[in-house]
Amino acid sequence: MTLFGRRNVLMVLALTAAIAPSFVNDYYLFVANTILIYVLLSIGLNILLGYTGQLAFANAAMFGIGAYATGLLQVRVGWPFWLAFPSGALIATAVGLAISLPALRLRGLYLAVSTLAFAQFTQWVFLNWESVTYGAGGFKTPPISFAPLPVSKQAGLYYLTLILVVVLYVLAQNAVRSRIGRAFIAVRDSEIAAQSLGVDLLRYKALAFGISGFYAGVAGGLYSALLNFVSPEGYDLFQMVLQKAMVVVGGLGSIVGSLLGAGAIITALEALRTVKGLQEIAFGAILLGFILFMPNGIIGALKAKVRGWEEPVHRSRRRNSPPGPAAVTTPRSEVRP
Amino acid sequence: MTAPLLSVRNVSVSFGGVKVLDGVNLDVQPGEIRGLIGPNGAGKTTMLNVISGIHAPNIGDILLDGVSIVGRKPNEIARLGLGRTFQTSQLFRGMTVLENLMTGLHHRTSAGLVAAAFNLRGYREEEEAAEEEARLALEFVGMSAFADRPGSALSFGQQRVIEIARTLIGAPKVVLLDEPAVGLSLNRLAEFDTLLRRIRDEKGVTLILIEHVIRLVMDVCDQVTVLSSGRQIAEGPPDAVRNDSQVIEAYLGKELRARHSAS
Amino acid sequence: MILLTYLLLSGLTTGSLYALIALGIVVVNKSTGVINFAHGELFMFSGLLAWTLHVQLGVSYLPSLAIAVVLGFALGVATNLIAFRPIKNADVVSLVLATIGLAFVVRGAARVIWGGKGDYLSFPPITSPDPISFGEIMVIPQQIAVLAGAIVIMLVFAAFFRLTRAGKMMQAAADNAKASKLVGIRVDRIYMLSFGTGAAIAAAAAVLMAPLTLLYPDMGFSFFIKGFAAAVLGGLTSLPGAVLGGFCIGVIEALAGGYINSSFMEVSAFIVIMFVLVVRPTGLLGLKGMRRI
Repeated sequence: MTLFGRRNVLMVLALTAAIAPSFVNDYYLFVANTILIYVLLSIGLNILLGYTGQLAFANAAMFGIGAYATGLLQVRVGWPFWLAFPSGALIATAVGLAISLPALRLRGLYLAVSTLAFAQFTQWVFLNWESVTYGAGGFKTPPISFAPLPVSKQAGLYYLTLILVVVLYVLAQNAVRSRIGRAFIAVRDSEIAAQSLGVDLLRYKALAFGISGFYAGVAGGLYSALLNFVSPEGYDLFQMVLQKAMVVVGGLGSIVGSLLGAGAIITALEALRTVKGLQEIAFGAILLGFILFMPNGIIGALKAKVRGWEEPVHRSRRRNSPPGPAAVTTPRSEVRP
Repeated sequence: MTAPLLSVRNVSVSFGGVKVLDGVNLDVQPGEIRGLIGPNGAGKTTMLNVISGIHAPNIGDILLDGVSIVGRKPNEIARLGLGRTFQTSQLFRGMTVLENLMTGLHHRTSAGLVAAAFNLRGYREEEEAAEEEARLALEFVGMSAFADRPGSALSFGQQRVIEIARTLIGAPKVVLLDEPAVGLSLNRLAEFDTLLRRIRDEKGVTLILIEHVIRLVMDVCDQVTVLSSGRQIAEGPPDAVRNDSQVIEAYLGKELRARHSAS
Repeated sequence: MILLTYLLLSGLTTGSLYALIALGIVVVNKSTGVINFAHGELFMFSGLLAWTLHVQLGVSYLPSLAIAVVLGFALGVATNLIAFRPIKNADVVSLVLATIGLAFVVRGAARVIWGGKGDYLSFPPITSPDPISFGEIMVIPQQIAVLAGAIVIMLVFAAFFRLTRAGKMMQAAADNAKASKLVGIRVDRIYMLSFGTGAAIAAAAAVLMAPLTLLYPDMGFSFFIKGFAAAVLGGLTSLPGAVLGGFCIGVIEALAGGYINSSFMEVSAFIVIMFVLVVRPTGLLGLKGMRRI
C-alpha cells in the first residue's frame, strides 16, 4: 500500500549501504562513511534543536571532544581504540550534560551566546593546550585493526559505522515517538504548558543535551578513526553551520529528515569540492533558502507528496482514520520514487 | 464546612516594588466552581500564576489538599493535582490532538529513555493504555473526530477545549482556567456551561475560572471572588456579588456608583 | 604601573570597537527581538568596501568612511529584506538560522572578491605611526584616534536616537510594537531602519578600526561574537549596557593577555560570558528599569 513509504525506502537504503563496499572504490566508501557519521551528528542535533527547540551552538564542540578524547586516549594513554572510542563518547556525553547545567537556566538568545562561548572556548583549548592536544597541527591516531575479522580497515570501519547508525537511528526513532519525545516537543512548543502538565523542564533539556552530546561523541570517535588524524580545524564554525544546514535541509523535528539532510549536504559538499571558494556561499544560501522557502525541509515535501512518511509521535495500533486532508486529496499518480 | 481543597492564605506578590497581590485569601471547597473576576490589572492572572507555581508569593501560604505548595516548581505542583489552562492558546502545535492529550498524561506515566528507545514491553503497554485514555478524553469533550488533526489546524475555540481536555487527562483535583470562553461564539457558550458542569459532576474536579464573560460566571459559578488592584474586595454567591457596591465601583468607577445609588 | 596604563588604553581602544558592534546588535534586537548573526559579516564587508574605496580608488579617508557608512546601511536594509522580513513571524530558531545562512554567503562573497584564506589587507595609517610619549607612557596616536572616533560615533548615535523622529519611532517600536502599530508607526519600516542603523554603526566601526589592524574575510565572526558577548553583558536590550559591556570585554581581554598569557586574550571574554550568564542570566544591566536610554 505504501510502496514508496519510509519503511521500504529505508530498507532499500540500508541494504544498498550494506553491500556498497563490494562494488565502490575507496573514495566513494570514504564519502559514504562520512555521510553515515554526519547522520549521527544531525540526529543528535535535531533532537536538541528540532525536537526540544534549544538554540545551542555546542554541537561541533561535542563532536570535537569525542574525536579528541578518542584520539588522545589512544595516543597519550595508550588505550586501544575499542576502549578509547566508547570512553570518548561518554566523555562527550558528560560534557554535554555539564554544559547543559548552566545553560538550562538560559533561554533563546542567552542560551545561544553561552553555548557559542563554550564552543569558542573548546576550540581555544584544542589550539592552545599543546602539552595535551598537540596544538594547531593536530595529531595522528593509530590505525585501528579489525584483527580476527577478515575485513580491511576501510571496510571494517564502514561496517562499524553502519551498524552504529542503524542501531542509533532506531533507538532515536523509538525515543522520539514515546512520552519522552512528546515531552521534548512540549518543551519546544510551550515551556509554560509543558510545566503545567508535569514536565520537568530542566530534566528534559538536560536529557536532550546529553543525547546530542552522546551522538556527537560517537560521531567524533568514528571520524577520528576515519581520518586517522585529529586537528582543531575540523570542529570549527564551518562545522557548526554544516550541521545546522543538514538539520534544516532534512527537516527540523524529524529523525529520518536528519538522515536525508546529512546525505544531501555531504553530497553537495563533495560536488563543490573543486570550487572551494564557493562552498561557503553555497551552504549559506542553502541554509537561508530552505528557511525561507522550504521551512519543513525535504521531509516536509515528502510527507506532503508521498504516503507513508508521516512521523507520528505515538505508536498507534489503530490506523483506521486517514491522517489528514493532504493524504486524502493526494492522488496516487503523484507518488514518485 | 469541610476542609477547603485549595486554600490561599494572606498571599502578597510584588514585582519591582509594585504590589500586584495584597494579602489575598481564598478557600475553595471540593466540588466547587469558583469564579475569579475583576477589572483588567486586578491581579487575576497573577493569582493563577502564584497558585500554579510560576511566581512565588512574597509572603503567605498556599495549601492544596492540606499540603503547602509554596516554593515548589510548576511541574511538581502539577503532579500534586493542580491543572491549568492559559489566556492564550498553548496547544503544542507540532503534535496532533491525540498526541497533545497523551502529553497530558506525562506525569501519570513513567517509561524512561531506555524502555522507550528499546521498545520494552512495559513501555508498550503503558503507551497503549495512554492512547486508549486519550481517546476516551476526546470523547468526553466530543472531539473524537479531531484526533489525528495537527494542533495548529484547530479553530481557536476548539484549541481551548482541547487544552482543557489535556489538563483533565492528568486527573487533577483542581483546575485553573484563565478566560476559557474567549473566542467562543454565543451558541457555543451554552455548550461550554454544560461542559464545565460535567467536568465538575462527572470528573469530580474543582474549578477556578477567570472570566470576563459575566453571563458564564453567573450561570456556572457557585461562588465568586472579586479582585481589584490586587485586593479581594468581595466574595459570595454570584447574585450577592453582582449587587455589591464596592464591586460596581471597581468596575465602573465612583461617578457611576453615585448615579447607581441615586437611582 | 606603566604596563597597566598601557593595557588599559589598548583595552579601551579595542573595547570601543566592541561597544560599537554591540550597539548595532542591540539596536536590532531591541526592535525586532532577534540577533542578526550576519552583523559581524556586515562589519567586515563594509570595512573591505572602504579598503577598495580608499586604497584602490584613492578616495580619501573621511569620504571613504562616509560612503562605507551609507553602504553599510544599505547592507543592513538588504539583510532585513532578505533574511528577516519574509519570515518575521517565525520562531527565533528559524530567524537566527536565516541570518547565519546569510552570514556565510557574505563571508564567501568577501573571499571571492578580496582573496582567500590568509589574505590580509592593510589600510594606510591616517595618523603618524610614531608613538607619542606622555611622561613615561607611550601612546600610538592611531589608538587615540580610534577611541575618540568611537566616542564621537556613539554621541552622534545617541543624538539620532533621542532627537530625530526616526530615532524616537525606533524607541517607541522597541518598547511596544503593538501600541506603536496602533498610533500609526509602520513597524516594518522601523525594523528596516534598525537593521540599517545597526549595520551603519558597524561599518563606521570597521573603517575606524581599519588603519589599526588588518582586514580579512574571517574577521567578522570573531568581532561579532565579542560584540554579542558585550551586548549580553549589558542585558541585550540596553544601549548604555552595550557600550559598557564592550569596554568591559576590551579591558578584560587586554588585562588577561597582559598579565596571564597572551593566548588568554582570545578566550577570556568567553570565560567571562559563561560566568556572568551562570550568575546573572539576564546580563549585568538586564533590569527593567535600564531599558530606556
